[in-house]
Amino acid sequence: MWRAYIGVIQKEFRQGLRDRNTLRMLFFMPVIQLLLLGYAIQTDVKHLWLDVYDTDRSELSRKLVASLKAGDYFDVTDMETSGDNAPLWRLDQRFKEGKAEMALVIPEDFARKLETNQPVTVGWIADGTDANAARTGIGYAGQILRQFSSSVIGRQPNVQIRSEFLYNPEAESRFFMVPGIVATLLTMLTLMMTSMSIVRERELGTLEQVLVTPINSVTLLFGKLTTFTIMAMMIMGIALNLGILWFHVPFVGSWAFLIAVSLLYLLTTLGIGMFVSTITSTQQQAMFYAWFFSIFTMLTSGYFTPVANMPIWLQRVTLVNPMRYYIEIIRGIMMKGSGVWDLHLDIMALAIFGVVIFSFSALRFHKRTT
Amino acid sequence: MKKIRFIAQKELYHILRDMRSLIIIFVMPVMMTCLYGYAINMDIEHISLAVIDQDQTVQSRALIERFYRSNYFFPPKYPVNYHDPDQLMRASNAAAVLTIQPGFERAVQTQQAFELGLTIDGSEVSQAAAVQAYASGLLNEYLQDRLPPGTTLPGVRLAQQVLYNEDLESAHFFVPGIVSIILLMVSALLTSITIAREKDTGTLEQLLTAPVSPGQILIGKLLPYIGIAFIDGLLVLGFAKILFSVPFVGSFWLLMAVELIYVATALSIGILVSTMVPTQQLAMQFALLLTMLPSVMLSGFIFAVKNMPVFLQGVSRIVPATYFLKVVRGIMLKGSGFAVLAPQAGFLLILMMIFLLMAVRRFRARIG
Amino acid sequence: MNGNAVEISGLTRKFGDFTAVDHLTLSVARGEIFGFLGANGAGKTTAIRMLCGLLLPTSGQGSVDGHDILKESEKIKKTIGYMSQKFALYRDLTARENLDFYGHLYNLGNSTLKARINELAEQLSLTPFIDRLAGALPMGWRQRLALGVSIIHRPSIVFLDEPTAGVDPVFRRTFWGLLYEMAEQGTTIFVTTHYMDEAEYCGRISIMHNGQLIELGTPHDLVAKYGAKNLEDMFIDLIRPAGASNEEN
Repeated sequence: MWRAYIGVIQKEFRQGLRDRNTLRMLFFMPVIQLLLLGYAIQTDVKHLWLDVYDTDRSELSRKLVASLKAGDYFDVTDMETSGDNAPLWRLDQRFKEGKAEMALVIPEDFARKLETNQPVTVGWIADGTDANAARTGIGYAGQILRQFSSSVIGRQPNVQIRSEFLYNPEAESRFFMVPGIVATLLTMLTLMMTSMSIVRERELGTLEQVLVTPINSVTLLFGKLTTFTIMAMMIMGIALNLGILWFHVPFVGSWAFLIAVSLLYLLTTLGIGMFVSTITSTQQQAMFYAWFFSIFTMLTSGYFTPVANMPIWLQRVTLVNPMRYYIEIIRGIMMKGSGVWDLHLDIMALAIFGVVIFSFSALRFHKRTT
Repeated sequence: MKKIRFIAQKELYHILRDMRSLIIIFVMPVMMTCLYGYAINMDIEHISLAVIDQDQTVQSRALIERFYRSNYFFPPKYPVNYHDPDQLMRASNAAAVLTIQPGFERAVQTQQAFELGLTIDGSEVSQAAAVQAYASGLLNEYLQDRLPPGTTLPGVRLAQQVLYNEDLESAHFFVPGIVSIILLMVSALLTSITIAREKDTGTLEQLLTAPVSPGQILIGKLLPYIGIAFIDGLLVLGFAKILFSVPFVGSFWLLMAVELIYVATALSIGILVSTMVPTQQLAMQFALLLTMLPSVMLSGFIFAVKNMPVFLQGVSRIVPATYFLKVVRGIMLKGSGFAVLAPQAGFLLILMMIFLLMAVRRFRARIG
Repeated sequence: MNGNAVEISGLTRKFGDFTAVDHLTLSVARGEIFGFLGANGAGKTTAIRMLCGLLLPTSGQGSVDGHDILKESEKIKKTIGYMSQKFALYRDLTARENLDFYGHLYNLGNSTLKARINELAEQLSLTPFIDRLAGALPMGWRQRLALGVSIIHRPSIVFLDEPTAGVDPVFRRTFWGLLYEMAEQGTTIFVTTHYMDEAEYCGRISIMHNGQLIELGTPHDLVAKYGAKNLEDMFIDLIRPAGASNEEN
């Protein structure tokens, strides 16, 4: 059986290396996806377009506007207004045209009230379309205004917060995303490769030819899966190294640990790939299912969205999503240097899923081919 | 004309008999709406916050309660006692730790300077700066509460107001975007598959031996898909309303008109893809790659375009979904009218013409 | 081992209500070239697949090379070769790589395999094409490659399902020359074909119709029995009256 096993691996690699599409997929997809997503994904709310209607135009109001301009939270546009109240229709229109996301209205008596130690209220209007940006913008505004207030009055509130960021001191959202991207790549590619490869053999009739030989389906299966595992590891290597070298994503923990866990995770994805191959009859169908599974897994894994933000029923669904645990583990290893004990719950979950899904799919495959 | 109608009919039969097409048309839009609508939520809320309270006084507990009462923070699932924020974060799986050192209550009562510690796990929290802002806001609220009622401190106050989507529902932001994604998927994906399929099975050749022109074949094939795209659009809009209560403030017909342009663009892209690729299977892969990926990532659907590197912003300009997204959101959430949205529609129109021309030219070349 | 190469009795296979193979009984001696004929959809492919261990019979028994097809299918696989209608080859592998792969599956050692591939290439006149992609080979050569794949392990019995479909007459003739050589060396050949002129090359032939065996004998005897001019006419006369109503389209 050993010879048969080696034979299968040799064949799969020969085919794979010759197939331009597979090559494209194996090398370019990780690169492109990583670059694209690494650059495109910016979840920090920054550069909000802020229209300022300053009806006071005093030194103090200019100072306030300046403090809003400082830093990259807001991109400020000074709306020229004269004496009377800012025409609200213009504000609305700017919102509709998408030219402004926030607006600040400073009343005429701004400086006067401040100088005479009276409280003064400014109006802050947010476009609620992007709810997150609106909320965050209001939060930022509050913070900046409080600081401005304190500096003008010359008095700080006595209690302050000192913040510290661990494991991502620059708070780069990219670092947060790259591990997730790696996990997604691994998932999508192994799912597709596995399911399509098996289905293709069935379509061409070569599966039949192979089954006529003394090989048993287990050896055949393992041969194929070994090949895909090796390819998947290569892809992961490329993607991770790209992330580390190009984007300077930190890698604090142990490579060996990461590889071991990834192999464990592959049990799941390869298993699902096998399963898909038993329920489809054409390659297109296989690819379609694989793609759909990947998207579903990705969206419910906590990669894009924190699990805590999802509706309760969806949160429960994520509990049975192996990718969710894998991403936790990758993030932990890469950014925090977490060890086996820190992540033992996630590892156990991954192991259980892996073994169950893999065994189930392998049995199904075996039944279907004999 | 008649010939076109017959080709369109045949196409319709193909579609109705192919299980895969049916799934793409009816099941996928619904599933994706649900999936994207429920699963994507970028709001910074529900951050698990562990607290090290070394003061243990009435005031410190009041502060903690103020934090937990907000939507932003909630207690971690596994309460653990550690004195080191780092360890505490790891052990309790919290994303942030608030440290209240002894003397908090005294400082509050005597107006002495005091510092609270907030440690944020930068690897868990995707929007760390915002978390900081919210914490500062909550602290401020707490301090304000402590003032005797009716006290007005000097200083600047903020009166906030939200226009459009006043309840700040995250779903209202994403779900309209789903319309653009689904329309694109259905149009581009299906057309690329259908043309590739004819090439695969050799029936395209057969068709061409009949007295039909390539143009007629093209139009005949596309007609059913335009209809399907619109049906799907309505399906998604319906679900948006039913499941997520997304408002529809503006003009329905304006949306339909722009949708027509958008669908035509998507169809052209689909045709273009099918001429570039030899097999059905590849057609699907390419279609997905060239349409879905940029539309989801670069159109402003989830991630803000203006924060991306300039190169990607440029790419975003040639993604049709970018413009359509603005139109959909504008009409549904803001009630924007034609005057305001004309530039977007205009860009879309230009894109449509470019893609259409390219598609027609390549189609003719491929066949003739 | 002595005894017949293939011995089947009452072999039946049903798919739901449809009986594809109905109580098939026949035996094939060692070294025989046996032609397994029948119209499209008559059940030939199903029968062969049962003999190769690709399908389990619904009822009936059989033995291939002395091994029971129900209980000893592993042993059977080691001694038989199979060439499917589709010439199941990996188009994106070269001829040599195809042979190499299947050689591995049949557990041939490295040096043995290398030698065997060269030997087969000679025998089948594939040498000039041996390093060309299988998908790029013209029909006739692909056919030979498929044959090579099925005999790489020197099986004692070879099952060939429509091996010459779509191949030009010159190639067909030389292909049968190869089969004759193999038979002379003791290999049993079990072949299905549509071409009646090929049927004449066989030692004995059987005719299946609607899953049942309706004739068995040497070509010469059968032609005489039905007073036909040749096998083709005999075949048509035999099939047509019964077949007109339930020919599979």
